[in-house]
Amino acid sequence: MSDNQSPLYGVMAAFDSPDSLIFASKSVVKAGYCKFDTYTPFPVHGIEKAMNLKPSPLPWLVLCGGLFGASAGFGLQTWVSIKGYALVISGKPLFSYQAFVPVTFELMILFSAFAAVFGMFAINKLPQFYHPVFTQKCFESVTTDGFFLMIECADPQFDLAAVHQLLEKQGGFNIVDVRDEG
Amino acid sequence: MKSVEVKAEQLSGRFSKFTQIHVAVAAIFGLVSLVLVNSQANHGLPMYLSVFMFFLTITLGGLFWVTIFHLTRSGWSVVVRRLFEHLMNRVGLMALLFIPIVLGLHGLYEWTHEAHVMHDHLLQVKAPYLNQPFFIVRSIVYFIVWFVLARGFFNDSTQQDINGDPLLTARSQKRSTYGILLYAITISFAGIDWIMTLTPHWYSTMFGVYIFAGAALSSLCMVSLLALFLRRNGFLSTVISVEHYHDLGKLIYGFVIFWAYIGFSQYFLIWYANIPEETMFYLSRNTAAWKAVSLMLVFGHFLVPFVLFMSRHMKRNRVIHACIAAWILLMHAIDMVWLVLPTFYPNGYMPTVLDIAIIIALAAAYGAAVWKGLDTVALFAHQDPRVDESMRFENV
Repeated sequence: MSDNQSPLYGVMAAFDSPDSLIFASKSVVKAGYCKFDTYTPFPVHGIEKAMNLKPSPLPWLVLCGGLFGASAGFGLQTWVSIKGYALVISGKPLFSYQAFVPVTFELMILFSAFAAVFGMFAINKLPQFYHPVFTQKCFESVTTDGFFLMIECADPQFDLAAVHQLLEKQGGFNIVDVRDEG
Repeated sequence: MKSVEVKAEQLSGRFSKFTQIHVAVAAIFGLVSLVLVNSQANHGLPMYLSVFMFFLTITLGGLFWVTIFHLTRSGWSVVVRRLFEHLMNRVGLMALLFIPIVLGLHGLYEWTHEAHVMHDHLLQVKAPYLNQPFFIVRSIVYFIVWFVLARGFFNDSTQQDINGDPLLTARSQKRSTYGILLYAITISFAGIDWIMTLTPHWYSTMFGVYIFAGAALSSLCMVSLLALFLRRNGFLSTVISVEHYHDLGKLIYGFVIFWAYIGFSQYFLIWYANIPEETMFYLSRNTAAWKAVSLMLVFGHFLVPFVLFMSRHMKRNRVIHACIAAWILLMHAIDMVWLVLPTFYPNGYMPTVLDIAIIIALAAAYGAAVWKGLDTVALFAHQDPRVDESMRFENV
């Protein structure tokens, strides 16, 4: 399937354990690469530190979602009770903020959850039906026992020979050039 | 992973002078209180009950956390569990400090006045439950339950320091199963008996949980402060890491929200139904001088820590962590005052010299007991089968 005319996407290597993957990630960071990714069958603790990843912006998205939900819930109830349908209920003032708390609270939770779930999808660029790594037969083991690391050629200091050498030195095997056939 | 030999840490008399000062202060101010009680018409009992409840909730919070740690077989908490154990072990002292309340029943609880009850239909109906002998029997039962549970956990834990027997952990876990049930029932009824019956016409089915929420929260803050204080003095610095403070912080944060949730739920139902014998509790607290205290609790006990302590960085920063824990303890003290005092002084209250003497005496007595306890045994459960796991614990 591999077609040499397709543009190069990156160089991928397999590793035999989470520990060697973490070790390799550290060396790749040390060598100055920033555009690379790792692929594992399960979450590997400590990999985000080894890859020198920035903290996720997701908490801020959730905070915004929560603030939006709370203010929307409180605002809607205020408008409905005071202007939209100004009904006196059990002799209480129209602006009975105590009664608004449960709905405000629930909408805050709802919108925080929306922000968390959909924000997570967006940050992870999901759903993704095609990725250049899918062209590699050996990559199928990523769902069982394969640990992969790929340095992408979008990296400013990408050099094919140097990358091959680095991955080999770190104990990577099945080193392949991944081409984007999409 | 290799298993390292865990080294025990001991205060070995480092704070003995500190403890002696506590004892002296407690003795002096205890005497001052006694003299003032005899010479003043204002007998300071309501304040005594507030301060007693403040320390009782911290003690019972300790018992709760030790029970829940065993119940859930939690690994991370092993290195901080001993501090909770010291708090729960103060049940004996609290039983002793309960004696003045028994002696002052007439000054506190209106249902103890027979002449008063005769003209009050509701109190007559409640008399089979609200009478002095039964009240005292119940109080004794609560203290026995707490004492037996606390002693059991403490003895198992300290015995394990010596012989390292993992079966002691299994025994504590077994005790925690029925322990948590007994605990839930006793703390709810104690809260109802000692605080809610100050206003015997009023009732709230939420009240026991409200006391529990304060207990769980205040003991967490107390343990955080204790650990940070010990760390400052060079103890436990390699044992309790930033990861443990982070976890304590998460629990504190969760229980700040839990307290607000319970407090609001109690208020909300009463506000909605608007029935006089239910609203009277909030009426005296939402009017006159007490309104400021109620607002202070809403903001200080909930909103301020809710916003400030949300971030992971705040929980992991030791100085900020200590400041917020101390702030919440202060708010918890105000909460206990807010529960008791408005019933006696609906138009507001200025603490007297007697009140201040009582506060200092009880705080010093409690402090002395905690420091004495800390000194007698190792600072953390270094022979626990999961101590290794706890020390290596990391938040993801």
